[in-house]
Amino acid sequence: MAQLEITNVSKSYGAVNVLKNINLEISSGEFVVFVGPSGCGKSTLLRMISGLEDIGTGQIRLNGQVVNAVDPARRGVAMVFQSYALYPHMTAFENMAFSLMIAKEKKARIKEKVERAANILRLEHLLQRRPGELSGGQKQRVAIGRAIVREPKVFLFDEPLSNLDTELRVQMRAELIQLHDKLKTTMIYVTHDQVEAMTLADKMVVMHGGVIQQCGRPLDLYDDPANKFVAGFIGSPRMNFMDADVARVESDHITLAVTGALKQFDLPFRGFDSSLRKVQVGIRTEYVGLSEDADSAVSLPATVAFVEELGDVTYMHTDLPNGERLVVRSNGGRYRGGKECVAQLDTTGILLFDEAGERIRSAS
Amino acid sequence: MTAEAITAYSNPARAVALPFSGWALLKWITAACIAIVAVFPIWWMVNVVFAEPGTPVSLNPRLYPTSFSAGISKILMIMQETDYMKAYYVSVAYSLLTIAGVLIIGSMAAFEFALFEFPGKRILFATVMLSLMVPTAVTIIPTYLLTASLGWLNTMQGLVVPGLASAFGLFMLIQFMKTIPRDMIEAARLDGASHFQLYRYIALPLSKNALVTLAILTFMKTWGNFMWPLIVAPSPELYTVGQVVGLFNSPYSHQTVDIVMTANLLAALPPLLFFLIFQRKIVEGIAMSGSKG
Repeated sequence: MAQLEITNVSKSYGAVNVLKNINLEISSGEFVVFVGPSGCGKSTLLRMISGLEDIGTGQIRLNGQVVNAVDPARRGVAMVFQSYALYPHMTAFENMAFSLMIAKEKKARIKEKVERAANILRLEHLLQRRPGELSGGQKQRVAIGRAIVREPKVFLFDEPLSNLDTELRVQMRAELIQLHDKLKTTMIYVTHDQVEAMTLADKMVVMHGGVIQQCGRPLDLYDDPANKFVAGFIGSPRMNFMDADVARVESDHITLAVTGALKQFDLPFRGFDSSLRKVQVGIRTEYVGLSEDADSAVSLPATVAFVEELGDVTYMHTDLPNGERLVVRSNGGRYRGGKECVAQLDTTGILLFDEAGERIRSAS
Repeated sequence: MTAEAITAYSNPARAVALPFSGWALLKWITAACIAIVAVFPIWWMVNVVFAEPGTPVSLNPRLYPTSFSAGISKILMIMQETDYMKAYYVSVAYSLLTIAGVLIIGSMAAFEFALFEFPGKRILFATVMLSLMVPTAVTIIPTYLLTASLGWLNTMQGLVVPGLASAFGLFMLIQFMKTIPRDMIEAARLDGASHFQLYRYIALPLSKNALVTLAILTFMKTWGNFMWPLIVAPSPELYTVGQVVGLFNSPYSHQTVDIVMTANLLAALPPLLFFLIFQRKIVEGIAMSGSKG
């Protein structure tokens, strides 16, 4: 049974619809990541689960009980904020003990719980320090500790790592995975960083314009995106997109004429809607390489715009004759200058989208 | 090592870093003049009190205290032979009760105004701010009539209560509390804090600096308030220090200048001490660094 059920939830501020008919089920112990660009409504959804934001319409159920009207403190959720939101006048210990003190727990019990959380987060030696005396990473750990001592049913994280530098972010990411393994509590995490989402999530929920675009396991979304937005949002560098005309439709393949390509090529495809004349071809950089053979069916002459050499991999950002950008990946190759090149597409990696951006899937 | 050698080792750049500047000198002289003008009256007061009568203004005047014992005997005389101690008690009670009231009422109101939305908030706030623009001379008579009709003439509550609603204090505290991050209030809400606990455990401690500043300003204002005690508590039972000092200064007072000065010095001492004690508190403060960074 789902621990958290979000049913037909919508939210608007005046005329602006921030969330539109959200439906989502989250199982107990899952690590769910809401990911999407700024303004997509992911933080609002998290705040609605926490109770800090009123639910416009729809229902949120936690362990089968509707929590729409339940006070935030009584929902059994704990939240870690982007700004950490530690109380600056209290020590780390007092910050972590605050909720227990409010709940009038016995002092010995408070001490025991805080020390246990501090032990999990390796914070024992910092308990008497105030937030002003802690580094960014330490503050974040105290904020997580404050959530742990409440022993919540669901942890909510609102972009908790975005204020940390890259190295610390990677380290904290690993610590969060370990923490989830240790506590086995449901965690809902909001981020705009798709790499963070891919590495942390059991289930990834991609949002855009207040709508859930797709949810599922990170690699399922990577390999089999439901639409052009998800395909473009997940993966770095983003997927290449090119316009193509459908030249011929057969029962087991179609013939495509990619704008800028020298020749038409066949793509295995069953059940193609023959009324569609124009499609968008999506292909990830790992399926685009350089070729010596300019005569191949899937070769595209291109001009190198700039090159990103990362050591193990080189990304060549090229411009096609029609002005579209195509990123070519070269494993371990070194760029030796030169402007003109021929990009070659591996058709096994081609995904098709209609003009509205929805995925066109081959019938199995 | 010779002096020349030492000179040779000194950093020439450092010598250049402190050039003689006429403008800087002028600024220092101006600052010193202002300081002398500000401090001289107080110093003169101390000088007159701690001297045999007439010494500071004799043909050969002294600009420094010459007799500590004379000063002490004058202070003892005032304490023992007049109702000065009682006035001290009244003034201290009047000031402390006003401070406590202003801080409690002001901080509670500011907490709501700064951190929450409620119907009519803007109009209420505008009304409070408008009262800042009405001079005391306009409000003092209606306030007096109201206090009189409540039967509070010659009572401590008559002195204190009308001064508790401080529009200035409210404005100051609102500005300060607006800087408390919303996340922090929400974190406390999630931690289970009630509305009052948010105020008690989060807003109040975080506004400590503003509260101390407001306490000092309220003390200065209340201790030096002459008009309101004069009209609302004319009974000698409730004379404040200001009124008693006024009596010493009155045209038919038979006190000599040095006694009057002693009364003045005793009246000026508490605000001076209050400021010196709490000035450090303002600077100390608490680091508002619970947020990112």
